[in-house]
Amino acid sequence: MQGSTRRMGIMTDVHRRFLQLLMTHGVLEEWDVQRLQKHCYKVHDRNATVEKLEDFINNINSVLESLYIEIKKGVTEDDGRPIYALVNLATTSISKMASDFAENELDLFRKALELIIDSETGFASSTNILNLVDQLKGKKMRKKEAEHVLQKFVQNKWLIEKEGEFTLHGRAILEMEQYIRETYPDAVKVCTICHSLLIQGQSCETCGIRMHLPCVAKYFQSNSEPRCPHCNDYWPHEIPEVFDPEKEREAGISKSNKRSLRSRQH
Amino acid sequence: MSQKPKSRGRAGAQAERGSGGEEAPSTSRGPGGAASQGGRRAEAPPTPGPRSQKQLELKVAELVQFLLIKDQRKIPIRRTDILRHVVGDYRDVLPELLQRAAERLEYVFGYRLVELEPRSNTYILVNTLEPVEEDAEMRGDQGTPTTGLLMIVLGLIFMKGNSIKETEVWDFLRRLGVHPTKKHLIFGDPKKLITEDFVRQRYLEYRRIPHTDPVDYELQWGPRTNLETSKMKVLKFVAKVHNQDPKDWPAQYCEALAEEEARARPQTGGTAPTPAPSS
Repeated sequence: MQGSTRRMGIMTDVHRRFLQLLMTHGVLEEWDVQRLQKHCYKVHDRNATVEKLEDFINNINSVLESLYIEIKKGVTEDDGRPIYALVNLATTSISKMASDFAENELDLFRKALELIIDSETGFASSTNILNLVDQLKGKKMRKKEAEHVLQKFVQNKWLIEKEGEFTLHGRAILEMEQYIRETYPDAVKVCTICHSLLIQGQSCETCGIRMHLPCVAKYFQSNSEPRCPHCNDYWPHEIPEVFDPEKEREAGISKSNKRSLRSRQH
Repeated sequence: MSQKPKSRGRAGAQAERGSGGEEAPSTSRGPGGAASQGGRRAEAPPTPGPRSQKQLELKVAELVQFLLIKDQRKIPIRRTDILRHVVGDYRDVLPELLQRAAERLEYVFGYRLVELEPRSNTYILVNTLEPVEEDAEMRGDQGTPTTGLLMIVLGLIFMKGNSIKETEVWDFLRRLGVHPTKKHLIFGDPKKLITEDFVRQRYLEYRRIPHTDPVDYELQWGPRTNLETSKMKVLKFVAKVHNQDPKDWPAQYCEALAEEEARARPQTGGTAPTPAPSS
């Protein structure tokens, strides 16, 4: 944490309502967080200027510090969207999941996590995960049941599914990065650019260094001849676009005006 | 990019692992860690000596998290659960921990830690912030049902003089297309919701009426309802549904007013967040 140099912030009902509602989401995209912030101002302090989100959140975090939690900002690995989650700082385990899942379900997640970390692509196939069902701790689980549990993980935003394969959701990375790095120090991959945990990304075929897709996008932005930052070899992959929240908003407005944050999955 | 947590948090966790640092309630066995097998505190000190501010702070943090998680499910939190899952060998300072946790919960989150009934040693969190209609759009979950089946039943109970027979509830609800035996598009299993879920969450009380054949039950407001809402609020809801004014029901209006006046008078205990003195 930033330590004693940070001044202790002040909580008002604006901040409290924000926290209460934020907690109902496991993870939230930046645009929705801004909407939430504006809503809370509207309820409690119509005339005040809405504080810049980063300062608003830093203020709350300085108060949360004594509770060993913080509102953490991250970026989705596939398309670079900024996301926020309220994460635990004091424990280095998958404890937040522990209150929602049984022992054998947690172990299934752990098995999936290990396969994902060991994989080359950051994805583990459904088949490979389900084949480990016999090794689970706790009550015996059948493959059919395990399929449902995997879907539960997707609904609760711990895993993402793409064409029968599973990878970690941005939420899981935000919550568990520390735990993952400590538990699997040899298998873990890291991005050359931002030095954070890397699950999905691109790699140099010559020297093997890896980069997150959004890090690639930023690093090679408007570079017509992208080259590996480590070995200078030609970068062989397609360079993705940098995430542009403005473009998103325009697309969103043309679709529908009032989009509810309410998720109907629970 | 995501922030890397600084070493302070990690060092704290390592120091606390002995005393059951993996705080998660009930089902957790501390994944990946061999230390907390079966939830036992492996390295409990022989006598609890004076604890550092840091250790107490960490315990308060665990307690706050525990209370928040339990309350999100609307499960009343028992003192024994608190002792078993969080406090452990810190039981001698439980009153202080609860006091500090209650203070943090109210200052940071706007939740007041309240005993469900005097001397019940069971707690719930009551929201000090008034729910607003637009909150519903901003939530990621169902939230406390301010409209919907529970409110309808609470309204029925109040308007019928604070107690109603289960058969009368279904007579009314059937007219709205809600049946005890049929799956409902929105409410799912209404019978389970009303007679089990709402009862477990302490919104309702469900008691068998003796000497009835076939067996009938009576429904009343539960202790959580009395803490989270009021007769006036429920009356206003009923009035709104009928497009009328609360004063159109003079008997209920008087009763609601009387309750408001009683609440405005200074309380003697009851809703105080401090635990019972004998721990």
